[in-house]
Amino acid sequence: MTPTGPQRMTPTMSTQTIPLPATVRVPSTSQRIVSLFPGIALLFGIGMLGKLFEHTFTVLRTEHHWLMPQIEYVLWAIILGLIVSNSVGVHRIFLPGVATYELWLKLGIVLVGARFLLQDVLHIGGLSLVLVAVELILSLSVMTLLGRIFRLPPKLTSLLAIGSSICGVTAIMAAQGAIEPDEEDTSTAIAAILTLGAIALFSFPAIGHALHMGQQAYGMWAGLAVDNTAESVVTGALYGDEAGRFAILAKTARSSFIGFVVLGYAVYWASRGKAAVVENKALFLWQKFPKFILGFLAISILATAGFFTKGQLTSLSNLSRWAFLPAFAGVGLRTNLKDLVGQGWRPLMVGILGEIFIALVTLGLVFWSYGHGVAR
Amino acid sequence: MAPINNNRPALPPAAHRLPINVDLLAVGIALTLAALIRFGVIHQISF
Repeated sequence: MTPTGPQRMTPTMSTQTIPLPATVRVPSTSQRIVSLFPGIALLFGIGMLGKLFEHTFTVLRTEHHWLMPQIEYVLWAIILGLIVSNSVGVHRIFLPGVATYELWLKLGIVLVGARFLLQDVLHIGGLSLVLVAVELILSLSVMTLLGRIFRLPPKLTSLLAIGSSICGVTAIMAAQGAIEPDEEDTSTAIAAILTLGAIALFSFPAIGHALHMGQQAYGMWAGLAVDNTAESVVTGALYGDEAGRFAILAKTARSSFIGFVVLGYAVYWASRGKAAVVENKALFLWQKFPKFILGFLAISILATAGFFTKGQLTSLSNLSRWAFLPAFAGVGLRTNLKDLVGQGWRPLMVGILGEIFIALVTLGLVFWSYGHGVAR
Repeated sequence: MAPINNNRPALPPAAHRLPINVDLLAVGIALTLAALIRFGVIHQISF
Protein backbone atom coordinates (compact mmCIF):
# COMPACT_ATOMS: atom_id res chain seq x y z
CA MET A 1 0.00 0.00 0.00
CA THR A 2 2.47 2.56 -1.12
CA PRO A 3 0.78 5.68 -2.40
CA THR A 4 2.17 7.89 -5.07
CA GLY A 5 1.44 11.37 -6.33
CA PRO A 6 0.91 14.70 -4.66
CA GLN A 7 -1.45 13.26 -2.03
CA ARG A 8 1.40 11.46 -0.33
CA MET A 9 2.12 13.20 2.96
CA THR A 10 5.06 11.58 4.65
CA PRO A 11 6.77 13.48 7.43
CA THR A 12 9.83 11.32 6.90
CA MET A 13 10.05 12.23 3.24
CA SER A 14 12.78 14.82 3.46
CA THR A 15 14.34 16.80 0.66
CA GLN A 16 17.71 15.47 1.81
CA THR A 17 17.06 12.11 0.23
CA ILE A 18 14.45 12.58 -2.49
CA PRO A 19 14.27 15.99 -4.11
CA LEU A 20 10.79 17.34 -4.69
CA PRO A 21 9.75 17.90 -8.30
CA ALA A 22 10.12 21.47 -9.52
CA THR A 23 6.36 21.91 -9.87
CA VAL A 24 4.17 20.48 -7.13
CA ARG A 25 0.51 21.38 -7.21
CA VAL A 26 -0.62 22.16 -3.66
CA PRO A 27 -4.29 21.28 -3.19
CA SER A 28 -6.59 23.89 -1.68
CA THR A 29 -8.17 23.40 1.75
CA SER A 30 -11.54 22.50 0.24
CA GLN A 31 -9.90 19.97 -2.07
CA ARG A 32 -8.11 18.43 0.86
CA ILE A 33 -11.34 18.17 2.85
CA VAL A 34 -13.19 16.61 -0.09
CA SER A 35 -10.33 14.15 -0.59
CA LEU A 36 -11.03 12.78 2.90
CA PHE A 37 -14.58 11.62 2.11
CA PRO A 38 -13.88 8.37 0.17
CA GLY A 39 -11.54 7.02 2.84
CA ILE A 40 -13.85 8.02 5.71
CA ALA A 41 -16.73 6.31 3.91
CA LEU A 42 -14.54 3.20 3.53
CA LEU A 43 -13.67 3.22 7.25
CA PHE A 44 -17.31 3.49 8.32
CA GLY A 45 -18.43 1.05 5.62
CA ILE A 46 -16.06 -1.64 6.85
CA GLY A 47 -16.94 -0.90 10.47
CA MET A 48 -20.67 -1.16 9.75
CA LEU A 49 -20.11 -4.36 7.80
CA GLY A 50 -18.32 -5.71 10.89
CA LYS A 51 -21.36 -4.85 13.01
CA LEU A 52 -23.64 -6.50 10.45
CA PHE A 53 -21.52 -9.67 10.47
CA GLU A 54 -21.58 -9.81 14.26
CA HIS A 55 -25.36 -9.42 14.29
CA THR A 56 -25.87 -11.98 11.52
CA PHE A 57 -23.66 -14.56 13.25
CA THR A 58 -25.48 -13.96 16.54
CA VAL A 59 -28.89 -14.47 14.90
CA LEU A 60 -27.74 -17.63 13.11
CA ARG A 61 -26.29 -19.00 16.35
CA THR A 62 -29.11 -18.13 18.74
CA GLU A 63 -32.21 -18.42 16.55
CA HIS A 64 -31.19 -21.00 13.98
CA HIS A 65 -28.76 -22.92 16.25
CA TRP A 66 -25.97 -22.90 13.72
CA LEU A 67 -22.51 -23.68 15.02
CA MET A 68 -21.03 -20.20 14.72
CA PRO A 69 -18.20 -18.62 16.71
CA GLN A 70 -18.94 -15.49 18.72
CA ILE A 71 -16.91 -12.85 16.87
CA GLU A 72 -17.24 -9.25 18.01
CA TYR A 73 -17.50 -6.39 15.54
CA VAL A 74 -14.03 -5.26 16.66
CA LEU A 75 -12.43 -8.38 15.22
CA TRP A 76 -14.66 -8.35 12.14
CA ALA A 77 -13.66 -4.77 11.35
CA ILE A 78 -9.96 -5.65 11.61
CA ILE A 79 -10.31 -8.86 9.58
CA LEU A 80 -12.29 -7.11 6.83
CA GLY A 81 -9.75 -4.27 6.75
CA LEU A 82 -6.88 -6.77 6.53
CA ILE A 83 -8.60 -8.64 3.70
CA VAL A 84 -9.10 -5.45 1.70
CA SER A 85 -5.58 -4.08 2.21
CA ASN A 86 -3.89 -7.42 1.49
CA SER A 87 -5.98 -8.49 -1.50
CA VAL A 88 -7.18 -5.66 -3.75
CA GLY A 89 -5.21 -3.08 -1.78
CA VAL A 90 -6.30 0.40 -0.79
CA HIS A 91 -6.52 2.71 -3.79
CA ARG A 92 -4.79 6.03 -3.28
CA ILE A 93 -8.12 7.86 -3.52
CA PHE A 94 -8.96 6.36 -0.11
CA LEU A 95 -5.62 7.05 1.60
CA PRO A 96 -6.24 10.60 2.93
CA GLY A 97 -9.54 9.52 4.51
CA VAL A 98 -8.12 6.27 5.88
CA ALA A 99 -5.45 8.35 7.63
CA THR A 100 -8.25 9.90 9.72
CA TYR A 101 -8.46 6.64 11.68
CA GLU A 102 -6.14 8.34 14.17
CA LEU A 103 -8.68 11.13 14.69
CA TRP A 104 -11.50 8.63 15.31
CA LEU A 105 -9.29 6.68 17.69
CA LYS A 106 -8.47 9.74 19.78
CA LEU A 107 -12.06 10.97 19.68
CA GLY A 108 -13.13 7.58 21.04
CA ILE A 109 -10.49 7.71 23.78
CA VAL A 110 -11.56 11.20 24.90
CA LEU A 111 -15.23 10.16 25.00
CA VAL A 112 -14.40 7.01 26.98
CA GLY A 113 -13.49 9.41 29.78
CA ALA A 114 -17.25 9.56 30.48
CA ARG A 115 -17.10 5.94 31.62
CA PHE A 116 -14.48 6.57 34.29
CA LEU A 117 -14.99 8.27 37.60
CA LEU A 118 -12.10 10.59 38.40
CA GLN A 119 -11.16 8.62 41.52
CA ASP A 120 -10.79 5.49 39.35
CA VAL A 121 -8.68 7.42 36.87
CA LEU A 122 -6.45 8.65 39.68
CA HIS A 123 -6.18 5.22 41.31
CA ILE A 124 -5.70 3.06 38.21
CA GLY A 125 -3.90 5.83 36.34
CA GLY A 126 -1.57 6.37 39.31
CA LEU A 127 -0.87 2.65 39.52
CA SER A 128 -0.30 2.60 35.77
CA LEU A 129 2.21 5.43 36.05
CA VAL A 130 4.25 3.44 38.58
CA LEU A 131 4.11 0.30 36.43
CA VAL A 132 4.95 2.33 33.32
CA ALA A 133 7.99 3.83 35.04
CA VAL A 134 9.30 0.32 35.82
CA GLU A 135 8.46 -0.90 32.33
CA LEU A 136 10.17 2.11 30.73
CA ILE A 137 13.46 1.66 32.55
CA LEU A 138 13.62 -2.07 31.81
CA SER A 139 12.45 -1.89 28.19
CA LEU A 140 14.73 1.01 27.23
CA SER A 141 17.70 -0.84 28.75
CA VAL A 142 16.90 -4.18 27.14
CA MET A 143 16.15 -2.73 23.69
CA THR A 144 19.41 -0.78 23.77
CA LEU A 145 21.30 -3.92 24.76
CA LEU A 146 19.61 -5.99 22.03
CA GLY A 147 20.34 -3.30 19.45
CA ARG A 148 24.05 -3.52 20.32
CA ILE A 149 24.05 -7.32 20.26
CA PHE A 150 22.41 -7.38 16.81
CA ARG A 151 24.60 -4.47 15.65
CA LEU A 152 21.75 -2.22 14.57
CA PRO A 153 22.55 1.42 13.69
CA PRO A 154 22.51 3.38 16.99
CA LYS A 155 19.69 5.72 15.97
CA LEU A 156 17.56 2.81 14.77
CA THR A 157 18.12 1.23 18.17
CA SER A 158 17.01 4.48 19.81
CA LEU A 159 13.86 4.58 17.67
CA LEU A 160 12.99 0.96 18.42
CA ALA A 161 13.56 1.55 22.13
CA ILE A 162 11.38 4.67 22.12
CA GLY A 163 8.66 3.03 20.03
CA SER A 164 8.47 -0.15 22.07
CA SER A 165 8.67 1.49 25.46
CA ILE A 166 6.09 4.27 25.03
CA CYS A 167 3.52 4.50 22.29
CA GLY A 168 4.75 3.05 19.05
CA VAL A 169 4.50 5.05 15.86
CA THR A 170 3.53 8.30 17.59
CA ALA A 171 6.64 8.15 19.75
CA ILE A 172 8.85 7.31 16.77
CA MET A 173 7.43 10.24 14.81
CA ALA A 174 7.94 12.52 17.84
CA ALA A 175 11.52 11.33 18.15
CA GLN A 176 12.21 11.70 14.46
CA GLY A 177 12.34 15.48 14.63
CA ALA A 178 14.38 15.41 17.81
CA ILE A 179 17.16 12.90 17.12
CA GLU A 180 17.30 13.30 13.31
CA PRO A 181 17.67 9.68 12.20
CA ASP A 182 17.94 8.48 8.58
CA GLU A 183 14.63 8.08 6.79
CA GLU A 184 15.40 4.39 6.38
CA ASP A 185 15.79 3.94 10.15
CA THR A 186 12.44 5.60 10.77
CA SER A 187 10.68 3.45 8.18
CA THR A 188 12.25 0.27 9.54
CA ALA A 189 11.38 1.13 13.15
CA ILE A 190 7.75 1.92 12.23
CA ALA A 191 7.44 -1.28 10.20
CA ALA A 192 8.87 -3.35 13.08
CA ILE A 193 6.52 -1.76 15.62
CA LEU A 194 3.49 -2.30 13.36
CA THR A 195 4.47 -5.93 12.76
CA LEU A 196 4.73 -6.52 16.49
CA GLY A 197 1.40 -4.77 17.03
CA ALA A 198 -0.26 -7.04 14.47
CA ILE A 199 1.18 -10.09 16.26
CA ALA A 200 -0.08 -8.79 19.60
CA LEU A 201 -3.62 -8.36 18.24
CA PHE A 202 -4.00 -12.10 17.89
CA SER A 203 -1.61 -13.49 20.51
CA PHE A 204 -2.54 -11.39 23.56
CA PRO A 205 -6.24 -12.38 23.76
CA ALA A 206 -5.26 -16.06 23.42
CA ILE A 207 -2.69 -15.71 26.22
CA GLY A 208 -5.20 -13.79 28.37
CA HIS A 209 -7.78 -16.57 28.01
CA ALA A 210 -5.19 -19.28 28.63
CA LEU A 211 -4.17 -17.56 31.87
CA HIS A 212 -7.83 -16.89 32.83
CA MET A 213 -7.05 -13.22 33.29
CA GLY A 214 -9.76 -10.90 34.54
CA GLN A 215 -10.99 -8.05 32.37
CA GLN A 216 -9.20 -5.33 34.35
CA ALA A 217 -5.90 -7.17 34.68
CA TYR A 218 -5.87 -8.08 30.99
CA GLY A 219 -6.76 -4.52 29.98
CA MET A 220 -3.91 -3.16 32.10
CA TRP A 221 -1.53 -5.66 30.53
CA ALA A 222 -2.61 -4.76 26.97
CA GLY A 223 -2.21 -1.05 27.76
CA LEU A 224 1.23 -1.54 29.27
CA ALA A 225 2.69 -4.03 26.80
CA VAL A 226 1.28 -3.31 23.33
CA ASP A 227 3.16 -0.44 21.73
CA ASN A 228 0.98 1.38 19.27
CA THR A 229 -2.06 3.15 20.75
CA ALA A 230 -4.47 1.80 18.12
CA GLU A 231 -3.29 -1.81 18.48
CA SER A 232 -3.28 -1.47 22.26
CA VAL A 233 -6.90 -0.30 22.35
CA VAL A 234 -7.97 -3.01 19.91
CA THR A 235 -6.06 -5.74 21.76
CA GLY A 236 -7.91 -4.73 24.92
CA ALA A 237 -11.31 -4.43 23.19
CA LEU A 238 -10.93 -7.89 21.63
CA TYR A 239 -10.94 -9.36 25.15
CA GLY A 240 -14.00 -7.46 26.30
CA ASP A 241 -15.54 -4.05 26.83
CA GLU A 242 -14.07 -3.52 30.29
CA ALA A 243 -10.66 -4.76 29.17
CA GLY A 244 -10.79 -2.22 26.34
CA ARG A 245 -11.48 0.63 28.77
CA PHE A 246 -8.64 -0.39 31.09
CA ALA A 247 -6.27 -0.79 28.17
CA ILE A 248 -7.07 2.80 27.23
CA LEU A 249 -6.40 4.01 30.76
CA ALA A 250 -3.06 2.22 31.07
CA LYS A 251 -2.06 3.22 27.55
CA THR A 252 -2.93 6.86 28.24
CA ALA A 253 -0.73 6.85 31.33
CA ARG A 254 2.07 5.34 29.28
CA SER A 255 1.69 7.89 26.50
CA SER A 256 2.06 10.74 28.98
CA PHE A 257 5.76 9.84 29.31
CA ILE A 258 6.47 10.46 25.64
CA GLY A 259 7.91 13.96 26.07
CA PHE A 260 10.34 12.96 28.82
CA VAL A 261 11.73 9.94 26.97
CA VAL A 262 12.07 11.75 23.63
CA LEU A 263 13.69 14.70 25.41
CA GLY A 264 16.16 12.32 27.07
CA TYR A 265 17.17 10.86 23.73
CA ALA A 266 17.31 14.32 22.10
CA VAL A 267 19.68 15.55 24.81
CA TYR A 268 21.79 12.39 24.47
CA TRP A 269 22.18 12.69 20.69
CA ALA A 270 22.74 16.46 20.90
CA SER A 271 25.55 15.87 23.43
CA ARG A 272 27.22 13.66 20.83
CA GLY A 273 26.84 16.35 18.17
CA LYS A 274 24.42 14.27 16.10
CA ALA A 275 21.19 16.19 16.71
CA ALA A 276 20.13 19.78 17.33
CA VAL A 277 20.30 21.10 20.90
CA VAL A 278 16.91 21.51 22.62
CA GLU A 279 16.84 25.13 23.77
CA ASN A 280 13.54 25.34 25.64
CA LYS A 281 12.95 22.01 27.39
CA ALA A 282 9.62 22.99 28.97
CA LEU A 283 8.22 24.01 25.59
CA PHE A 284 9.58 20.78 24.09
CA LEU A 285 7.77 18.71 26.74
CA TRP A 286 4.51 20.57 26.13
CA GLN A 287 4.79 20.19 22.35
CA LYS A 288 5.34 16.44 22.65
CA PHE A 289 2.64 15.89 25.31
CA PRO A 290 -0.39 14.08 23.83
CA LYS A 291 -3.13 16.69 24.32
CA PHE A 292 -5.99 14.22 23.92
CA ILE A 293 -5.17 13.00 27.45
CA LEU A 294 -6.36 16.40 28.74
CA GLY A 295 -9.67 15.91 26.92
CA PHE A 296 -10.03 12.44 28.44
CA LEU A 297 -9.47 13.91 31.91
CA ALA A 298 -11.87 16.82 31.25
CA ILE A 299 -14.72 14.48 30.25
CA SER A 300 -13.99 12.25 33.24
CA ILE A 301 -14.05 15.25 35.61
CA LEU A 302 -17.39 16.42 34.15
CA ALA A 303 -18.84 12.91 34.49
CA THR A 304 -17.63 12.63 38.09
CA ALA A 305 -19.05 16.07 38.96
CA GLY A 306 -22.53 14.96 37.86
CA PHE A 307 -22.59 17.22 34.82
CA PHE A 308 -24.31 14.48 32.80
CA THR A 309 -27.36 12.36 33.59
CA LYS A 310 -27.14 8.59 33.47
CA GLY A 311 -28.81 8.54 30.05
CA GLN A 312 -26.42 11.17 28.74
CA LEU A 313 -23.44 9.15 29.98
CA THR A 314 -24.80 6.16 28.08
CA SER A 315 -25.06 8.30 24.95
CA LEU A 316 -21.45 9.49 25.37
CA SER A 317 -20.34 5.93 25.89
CA ASN A 318 -22.13 4.84 22.71
CA LEU A 319 -20.60 7.77 20.85
CA SER A 320 -17.15 6.51 21.82
CA ARG A 321 -18.06 3.09 20.36
CA TRP A 322 -19.13 4.79 17.11
CA ALA A 323 -15.81 6.61 17.03
CA PHE A 324 -13.86 3.39 17.59
CA LEU A 325 -15.69 1.62 14.77
CA PRO A 326 -13.79 3.37 11.90
CA ALA A 327 -10.60 3.37 14.00
CA PHE A 328 -10.66 -0.44 14.23
CA ALA A 329 -11.31 -0.70 10.49
CA GLY A 330 -8.34 1.63 9.94
CA VAL A 331 -6.03 -0.66 11.92
CA GLY A 332 -6.83 -3.49 9.50
CA LEU A 333 -6.68 -1.29 6.41
CA ARG A 334 -3.27 0.16 7.11
CA THR A 335 -1.69 -3.24 7.91
CA ASN A 336 -0.03 -4.55 4.78
CA LEU A 337 1.60 -7.89 5.52
CA LYS A 338 3.86 -7.66 2.45
CA ASP A 339 5.34 -4.37 3.67
CA LEU A 340 5.78 -5.71 7.16
CA VAL A 341 7.79 -8.82 6.23
CA GLY A 342 10.10 -6.93 3.87
CA GLN A 343 11.94 -4.95 6.52
CA GLY A 344 14.94 -7.16 7.29
CA TRP A 345 15.26 -9.73 10.01
CA ARG A 346 17.57 -7.99 12.49
CA PRO A 347 15.32 -5.07 13.52
CA LEU A 348 12.41 -7.47 13.69
CA MET A 349 14.37 -9.89 15.87
CA VAL A 350 15.36 -7.07 18.21
CA GLY A 351 11.71 -6.01 18.32
CA ILE A 352 10.38 -9.51 18.90
CA LEU A 353 12.87 -10.34 21.65
CA GLY A 354 12.33 -6.95 23.27
CA GLU A 355 8.57 -7.26 23.08
CA ILE A 356 8.60 -10.75 24.60
CA PHE A 357 10.63 -9.33 27.46
CA ILE A 358 8.28 -6.35 27.89
CA ALA A 359 5.20 -8.58 27.71
CA LEU A 360 6.59 -10.90 30.40
CA VAL A 361 7.69 -8.06 32.68
CA THR A 362 4.38 -6.21 32.42
CA LEU A 363 2.44 -9.48 32.86
CA GLY A 364 4.41 -10.08 36.06
CA LEU A 365 3.77 -6.51 37.23
CA VAL A 366 0.03 -6.79 36.58
CA PHE A 367 -0.25 -10.16 38.34
CA TRP A 368 1.71 -8.78 41.27
CA SER A 369 -0.51 -5.66 41.46
CA TYR A 370 -3.75 -7.63 41.42
CA GLY A 371 -2.38 -10.46 43.58
CA HIS A 372 -1.26 -8.08 46.33
CA GLY A 373 -4.37 -5.91 46.30
CA VAL A 374 -2.50 -2.88 44.95
CA ALA A 375 -5.06 -2.74 42.14
CA ARG A 376 -8.76 -3.29 42.79
CA MET B 1 22.91 14.89 -0.05
CA ALA B 2 22.55 11.24 0.92
CA PRO B 3 22.00 8.77 -1.93
CA ILE B 4 18.53 7.44 -2.55
CA ASN B 5 18.14 3.98 -1.09
CA ASN B 6 15.71 2.17 -3.32
CA ASN B 7 15.76 -0.92 -1.13
CA ARG B 8 14.43 0.71 2.00
CA PRO B 9 11.16 -0.68 3.35
CA ALA B 10 8.04 1.06 2.15
CA LEU B 11 6.85 3.61 4.68
CA PRO B 12 3.72 2.20 6.28
CA PRO B 13 0.56 4.20 5.83
CA ALA B 14 0.39 4.93 9.55
CA ALA B 15 2.89 7.64 8.89
CA HIS B 16 0.40 9.45 6.67
CA ARG B 17 -0.43 11.94 9.34
CA LEU B 18 -3.12 14.54 8.97
CA PRO B 19 -1.72 18.04 8.43
CA ILE B 20 -3.58 19.29 11.52
CA ASN B 21 -3.31 18.83 15.25
CA VAL B 22 -5.35 15.66 15.57
CA ASP B 23 -5.28 15.72 19.37
CA LEU B 24 -6.82 19.17 19.66
CA LEU B 25 -9.36 18.41 16.94
CA ALA B 26 -10.41 15.22 18.75
CA VAL B 27 -10.76 17.08 22.05
CA GLY B 28 -12.72 19.89 20.39
CA ILE B 29 -15.15 17.52 18.69
CA ALA B 30 -15.58 15.44 21.85
CA LEU B 31 -16.33 18.45 24.06
CA THR B 32 -18.74 19.86 21.47
CA LEU B 33 -20.61 16.57 21.25
CA ALA B 34 -20.66 16.31 25.05
CA ALA B 35 -22.14 19.82 25.28
CA LEU B 36 -24.76 19.02 22.61
CA ILE B 37 -25.79 15.93 24.55
CA ARG B 38 -25.75 17.73 27.89
CA PHE B 39 -27.99 20.56 26.70
CA GLY B 40 -30.43 18.31 24.89
CA VAL B 41 -29.56 19.16 21.30
CA ILE B 42 -28.68 15.51 20.76
CA HIS B 43 -31.11 13.33 22.66
CA GLN B 44 -30.13 9.70 22.64
CA ILE B 45 -27.42 7.76 20.86
CA SER B 46 -27.59 4.00 20.67
CA PHE B 47 -25.02 1.56 19.37
